Amino acid sequence: MELSDSELVKQCQAGEMSAFEELVSRYHQKVYMVSLGLLRNRDDAMEVAQEAFFRAYRKINSFQGGSSFYTWIYRIAVNISIDTQRRQRRNPLDFRESMDGVMEAQNEVAKDPFTDVHDRELREKLTKAINDLTPEHKAVIVLRTIEGMSYKDIGQILGCSEGTVMSRLHYARKKLQDKLRVFL
Amino acid sequence: MMLQKMRRSLVLLFSLLLVSFAGWCGAAEKTPQSVQVTIRSILAANKSDEFDAKLKGMEQQLKSLKYRSYRSLKDESKTVPWQGTQSFEIPGGRTLTVSPQEFQDNRIALKVRLTEHDKPIVDTTVKIANKGNFILGGPPHEGGALVLSISASAP
Amino acid sequence: MSNCEIIRESIGSWLDGELSPGESDSVRAHVAGCGDCDEVRRQLEKLQMVLKEELAGKAARIEFMPFWREVQQRINQKRPWHEELRGWCRDFFTAPRIAWSVPAVIALVLALFSLDSYLPGWRFGGARNNFAAVDSIDAYGRSVALLRENESKTTVIWLYQDQEGENDAAEDATKSGPAF
Repeated sequence: MELSDSELVKQCQAGEMSAFEELVSRYHQKVYMVSLGLLRNRDDAMEVAQEAFFRAYRKINSFQGGSSFYTWIYRIAVNISIDTQRRQRRNPLDFRESMDGVMEAQNEVAKDPFTDVHDRELREKLTKAINDLTPEHKAVIVLRTIEGMSYKDIGQILGCSEGTVMSRLHYARKKLQDKLRVFL
Repeated sequence: MMLQKMRRSLVLLFSLLLVSFAGWCGAAEKTPQSVQVTIRSILAANKSDEFDAKLKGMEQQLKSLKYRSYRSLKDESKTVPWQGTQSFEIPGGRTLTVSPQEFQDNRIALKVRLTEHDKPIVDTTVKIANKGNFILGGPPHEGGALVLSISASAP
Repeated sequence: MSNCEIIRESIGSWLDGELSPGESDSVRAHVAGCGDCDEVRRQLEKLQMVLKEELAGKAARIEFMPFWREVQQRINQKRPWHEELRGWCRDFFTAPRIAWSVPAVIALVLALFSLDSYLPGWRFGGARNNFAAVDSIDAYGRSVALLRENESKTTVIWLYQDQEGENDAAEDATKSGPAF
């Protein structure tokens, strides 16, 4: 019978590494996807996802079950991602592999040349528009879009009220709409 | 989340209250109304090695005088108004007259006269720290020397 | 603010299913009857679709075992002392702790400075400055010594027994009148 997250956490706190492995297996993909959505770079996202689970392991004894484990691990991953983004904004690298590069590597085939150009232009504009958002606004967009999380869960992860989540989402969507109006 | 916001606001308000209270407490120096003067009469001698337990706290001050024994003779405390005068009876037919003059920079200026059988022995004006003291000693008494600890406190 | 502006601010939350049933019905009814607001709804739905495709649709699945091995390596690896310290600081100095530390430090400072009232003689930073400044001294002809004891920081005025001229000095003093 599959153990619940809280039971696995209790076993972790008792020193069972296998319980932590099970938790990682349940959430590693989701955490990676959220990090990728925020950082737009595979290597950074992998680094952040691994670091998030490492920090969760170190702090597992302080986890008191006030929130669910997945909310907690997301919070750690989002915080590390936001810190990483802020650091990158202060010290931008000359070259970073973007999602465009990822898709080229995956050999995406367009339906027709017109769609190909249109889609590529939309992706470029969309990527730029997303990157122009502040880390906090990007976080709400990513968590809502990728995970379909409720405002309450997003608020728990980001440490803000549901009202703040609502207003950040509204602001972020408005910004994206304004920049992508032609494509929508 | 509402509770968190409320808690944060309470913490801020509490900090502001503390800061205001600190400011009020540290407000400009107020001149106290009167001075509490305390005179301790002590006999310093070389007849024994006694150190009176009542003089605990003054060991360092007294031992610098290099006598072997110290005995408390009399303690007296009086409230003296600024520019006023108060007399203290000192063993050996002596009188100590004290007059607080001014309070500045947390120091009290004291005018002090020691007389013996109505004859002045010493007049001095000393500025001591608030709640501090100074020692006036030397007049012979009972085979030793009289030592007076003169302290003043302005609340 | 017009009704349309109010409704447009809620369309996103309505599409997310985050409005109450009553609010949801109001928005639905308005959007059904307002072309401009309906256009906003359409754009938001399209945006959501494009975003989902962009953010979630294109990411490859990651293999669990290599990921887990990396996490294990981090757990087992000894970190440099400065990284450990940074991690400890990050964990310890949380927002609530910092928020409470401000009034706690203020209270502590106040307590230290007012401790003197409750523990006379005690002084923050060591022995109080008990040195007395002797502005004037008249020993009526007697020898007087002014001493300063360093340990307790006490001023001592010591009157010596003078044998010569003692009676003359005393007589003069009584004639000169009170000093006060």
